Amino acid sequence: MKIKPYLKQVRRLSQLICLVIFLFLFRQTDYTGSDTIPYAVNILFRLDPLVLATITLAKKTFVTLLWPSFIIIGLTLLFGRCFCSWICPLGTLIDGSGHFIKSGKASVRLPYLKYVILIIILISSAFGVQLLGFVDPFSLLVRGMVFSIDPIINYLVSLFFDSVYTRGPAAFSNITEPAYEVLKTFVLPFKQSFFYLSFLSFFLLVLIFIMEFFGKRFWCRNLCPLGGLLALISRLSIFKRIPVKACKNCELCESECRMNAFDKEHYFMFEECSLCMDCLEFCPDNITTFKFSIPKNKSSVNINRRQLIVAGLTGLALPVLCRTNAISKTPDDDLIRPPGALDETDFLASCVRCGECMKVCINNALQPLFLEKGFEGMFTPKLVPRLGYCEFNCTLCSQVCPTGALGRLNVKQKHAFVIGRAYFDKNKCMVYTEKKSCIVCEEHCPTHDKAIKFNEIKIRDVFGNSVLLKQPYVVEELCIGCGICEHICPVQGEAAIKVVGKGGAREFGSGYG
Amino acid sequence: MDRRKFLKQVSLWSAGIIITPPVFNFTPKLFGSPLIKPDILVAKGEDYPGLVRQVVHSLGGMQTFVKNGDKVVIKPNIGWDRNVEQGANTHPLIVAELAKLCLDAGASKVFVFDRTCNEERRCYNNSGIKSAIKEIRDKRLRLEYIDDRKFVPVNIKKGKVLREWSFYKDALEADCYINVPVAKHHSLSRLSIGLKNVMGVIGGWRGKIHYKLGAKLADLNMVIKPELTIVDATRVIVRNGPQGGDLDDVKILNTIIGSLDPVAADAYATTLFGLKPHQIKSTVEAYKRGLGQMDLGKCNIRYLKA
Repeated sequence: MKIKPYLKQVRRLSQLICLVIFLFLFRQTDYTGSDTIPYAVNILFRLDPLVLATITLAKKTFVTLLWPSFIIIGLTLLFGRCFCSWICPLGTLIDGSGHFIKSGKASVRLPYLKYVILIIILISSAFGVQLLGFVDPFSLLVRGMVFSIDPIINYLVSLFFDSVYTRGPAAFSNITEPAYEVLKTFVLPFKQSFFYLSFLSFFLLVLIFIMEFFGKRFWCRNLCPLGGLLALISRLSIFKRIPVKACKNCELCESECRMNAFDKEHYFMFEECSLCMDCLEFCPDNITTFKFSIPKNKSSVNINRRQLIVAGLTGLALPVLCRTNAISKTPDDDLIRPPGALDETDFLASCVRCGECMKVCINNALQPLFLEKGFEGMFTPKLVPRLGYCEFNCTLCSQVCPTGALGRLNVKQKHAFVIGRAYFDKNKCMVYTEKKSCIVCEEHCPTHDKAIKFNEIKIRDVFGNSVLLKQPYVVEELCIGCGICEHICPVQGEAAIKVVGKGGAREFGSGYG
Repeated sequence: MDRRKFLKQVSLWSAGIIITPPVFNFTPKLFGSPLIKPDILVAKGEDYPGLVRQVVHSLGGMQTFVKNGDKVVIKPNIGWDRNVEQGANTHPLIVAELAKLCLDAGASKVFVFDRTCNEERRCYNNSGIKSAIKEIRDKRLRLEYIDDRKFVPVNIKKGKVLREWSFYKDALEADCYINVPVAKHHSLSRLSIGLKNVMGVIGGWRGKIHYKLGAKLADLNMVIKPELTIVDATRVIVRNGPQGGDLDDVKILNTIIGSLDPVAADAYATTLFGLKPHQIKSTVEAYKRGLGQMDLGKCNIRYLKA
């Protein structure tokens, strides 16, 4: 057959195209001059059947945003786990890393682990605890890129160009600056971003690649819960490889298979096959081929009863552990969720910790939680006003959320969406402590009837002179908690005006507008 | 490159970082010069570009300010993520018309920028200035985002309250600096006009200078001296400034004020709000420092008919 040698190139091309699309959409996850993002930048998560499964279980409703995942399910029903070797950007990166990481023979084989992980997250999501974000390949990939890879690359590149610009001779910077501008326009992010958990996210992502030392596609074969789900679906698929057993005396396909898709008796396990089609190439006698046939599975799924029970019990235990943690009862003053966020319980159940909202946040104001709200809240977004405020007319985070954990808002709804409330600390505010004029907070307050107002009072200043002083105060009902006041407060260190989240606000109404 | 060579180069490069940044010294050029009776030109009408042309023409034409090959800075107020109707930023038509006049006068570079309060991309877009500048399609004209590397510390030698602050290099080095503020209400300084507009070319934590703001603004204006001030009073925010947002707070005056004297321009614009020039601290302080005339009786106010 002539087509054989080309198939590998076609697959690689497909991988490359998908990776380029992924990177393009990653870069487009930003403000680009329009109030709405023109591309479906969150498509990767909406294609993910695992997101569909956990969200549906957690919310007990079907989230229409996630319809694209049926494309992947359909594709898997036809061609098996082709997603892993043809589309998945993480898989592509792992394959690409093979040029740098020399994997040994697949000595560590733990294929049951991915089913264990899958069962744990499915069961716990049914009890409203969303653990997908810790193990979903795209969550790991996108978060790693948002929190660490992207900032690191931008930091290093600008460090180079900035040093040439500020320290090098003008002749140099005349050459480098135009190059920098081109890079800034097409490759680099608009601004340097900073994130908490950058180290952890970096480490988790790198770990996937480190695991390659223990065999090719270690992550995909043994751990990836999406791979596990697709494997289960692929048992029903109609496009299969034959022969079903590696030929005696050769077994080249078995020893070369990146997915270890053969059991101990050398039988081919279709659900482990990612349809990379490389075995077509190895096969010396052209015996191997792929063709459509009725699905019938001789081998059973790679998980035994004991593992199944342990996974199920763990899945049951984790939600209970989360719920009985004292953190779930501790008041959360400074937890400010992004605009459009569902109520806390629903939000936690729906957020897959993809990091898209934090990537798109125009002021780098959304930051991942660590363990402040327990294991359950890790990597979920919160507003940190001192780092950045929520831009009044911006609705981008609600647009990129793939699961509706942040409900989509138009500008008018956003203007009225209360994420928190501001309170003065009169022991810090220099108007009260030093009798100095300031009201920078009032100046920046964006609501149309300003939530920060001031009294003009006659007082004696610190020198004894009689002066008119503008003393600011907050009208709670008008405040939406955007945090610009806290952000720009000129008091050093912690601001003299602070925004607290819904949990800490004294009054919680519908906001202004 | 071997390791030794590499280390050597690295240390050479990093050595530069230890060297302190250059400090610019600016002795105010006009300081102490006798105040001549400045012209204030006031034009009213709905054809804003036409008004700009009229005002500039009556002040002697753009070629009196911009010489062939000059680097020009046009400094509008683009501080807020507000649209044209909301009047928090300089009207894009005025900025664009000034840019065109500068290009026609033979400027080699025309820079338009502002250090914004809201996110810069949103401000540039929503203010309408980005699209207005883009339409002109001239390579010499550039609307730029603030580049943090370009802030340089400046000694304000004659500064009374503020002795040092960082300024934007392009603004300091401009052959011709045209200030194009929008006149509007400001809760702390009462009004924000031309002298206040200097805050868009300074670096640092700007919130820190709000104590004694008037005096500090005057000090900052000792460094940045516009050749020409065009005040946009076409739509003015009369309450809840400086960013407004509510169209009820916007008064349409369709007025453009032009002057070579930055203090006189502010002084006249103040009267549009029913206030007297001496009620605005920055105007008084700037006058005290000899930056211009605040006594409108000593100004030559000319009203232009459309």
